[in-house]
Amino acid sequence: MIPSMELPLVGFTVLSQTAVGLTLVYALQGALQGADASGAGEASQRTKWLAAAGILALGLLVSLTHLGHPEGAPRAVTHLSTAWLSREALLFGLLAGLMAVTALLGAGRGLALLTALAGLAGLFVQGMVYSPPSFPAIANALPFAFFLLTAVILGAGTAVWFVAEGRRTLLRHILVGALSAGLLLFLVAPCVWLSGGTVMRMTAEAYLASPFYWAHIVFGLALPLAVVLGTRRIPSWLPVLLLAGALCGRIVFYLDTVHTAVNIGGLY
Amino acid sequence: MKKQLGFYVDAKLCIGCFTCAMACKNQYHQVNGVVWREVYPLKEEIYPHRERAFYSLACNHCEHPECLEVCPVNAYTKREKDGVVVHHQEKCIGCGNCIRSCPYGAPRYNPVEKRAEKCSMCWQRLDAGLDPACVKSCPTRALRIIDLATFDDPNAVQFPPGFPRMPGLNPSTRFRQPELPLIVRREDV
Repeated sequence: MIPSMELPLVGFTVLSQTAVGLTLVYALQGALQGADASGAGEASQRTKWLAAAGILALGLLVSLTHLGHPEGAPRAVTHLSTAWLSREALLFGLLAGLMAVTALLGAGRGLALLTALAGLAGLFVQGMVYSPPSFPAIANALPFAFFLLTAVILGAGTAVWFVAEGRRTLLRHILVGALSAGLLLFLVAPCVWLSGGTVMRMTAEAYLASPFYWAHIVFGLALPLAVVLGTRRIPSWLPVLLLAGALCGRIVFYLDTVHTAVNIGGLY
Repeated sequence: MKKQLGFYVDAKLCIGCFTCAMACKNQYHQVNGVVWREVYPLKEEIYPHRERAFYSLACNHCEHPECLEVCPVNAYTKREKDGVVVHHQEKCIGCGNCIRSCPYGAPRYNPVEKRAEKCSMCWQRLDAGLDPACVKSCPTRALRIIDLATFDDPNAVQFPPGFPRMPGLNPSTRFRQPELPLIVRREDV
């Protein structure tokens, strides 16, 4: 297998996780603060949910460019019995519809919660797609943890554009927690891999030598955390930095996670 | 046990001549850069000698093929009568999931067709009572076809060093490991 950045998949996973993150934040905000409470400068519920649906739809569109034969995409849901990719395609398709319905019918607490749960299920399935036995470093729960953290970070970050200044305290708390957890996980994972088998060690060495990995750590996690903690607010430009960092992190995920076939003939 | 065909790779006999890989290429004329069978030299940490030893590998036609399980469009089937895993390229949409998921790197991406492809164990030749092209071409009989239902060689191993250990997939390839040459030194005589 030739390592590749897989840019369409980078785009799809990051955009779909942003959309899921937004639904999680909206559902939590609705449950804790009431969905209809909105301050000056806050987008309407319909706008918020339509934006999330739009981001997911864009992600799904980008994912088609990854296929050799995009016209066959509808058939990708025909192997639900064992293929996590089929389940992912079905779930994210349903999620986009659910988001649109939530936007059009008005985001009631129950519907918002249902959409958020469907989003969480989507993240789990996406995590399973990217944990095959051929990548020993990530043939575990790590992809799900990575994706969940990306979703929460980008969701809480992007929600700043739709939530009034006075209601951003919850977002700030979520963002600080997720960025701290992300920083810890993304720094610790390669160190753990260094103590694993040959292919895991090769993965760790590739990550630690990658400028994308360090760009993710610095610009996607550490710097935003310092800004939010230092200013005690989420500046409106921060989501752009978070997105750029997340894209770098996802590129390293696809480009530098080492496949078992690379070392055939050597020790494992 | 049901009939399950597999490759027997005798690394003691293999001389690394690549005839098997060339025979596969002659049979199927894959596009540039795409190979279904590859000859892997063993690294010095496994075979510590200046002479080299090799594993000739293609698809392992696993009992539980990862490619078949992860394919979202059912482009893979496993033949009931002999366990050969067949890729139906016309169904493939080129998502690359099988390529990423197979730990042995058997499925490859065909950039012209924009679809995956892999070793078929020459099932058309098998059905005609012939050996696969790679097996037929091997000058040292280092590559053979075995039926795991009847195969009984106590020296054969499934996961030799240098071959990813994936018991969940249960690959059907079996190996005889290479032996280091006997070195006679002047002081030993």
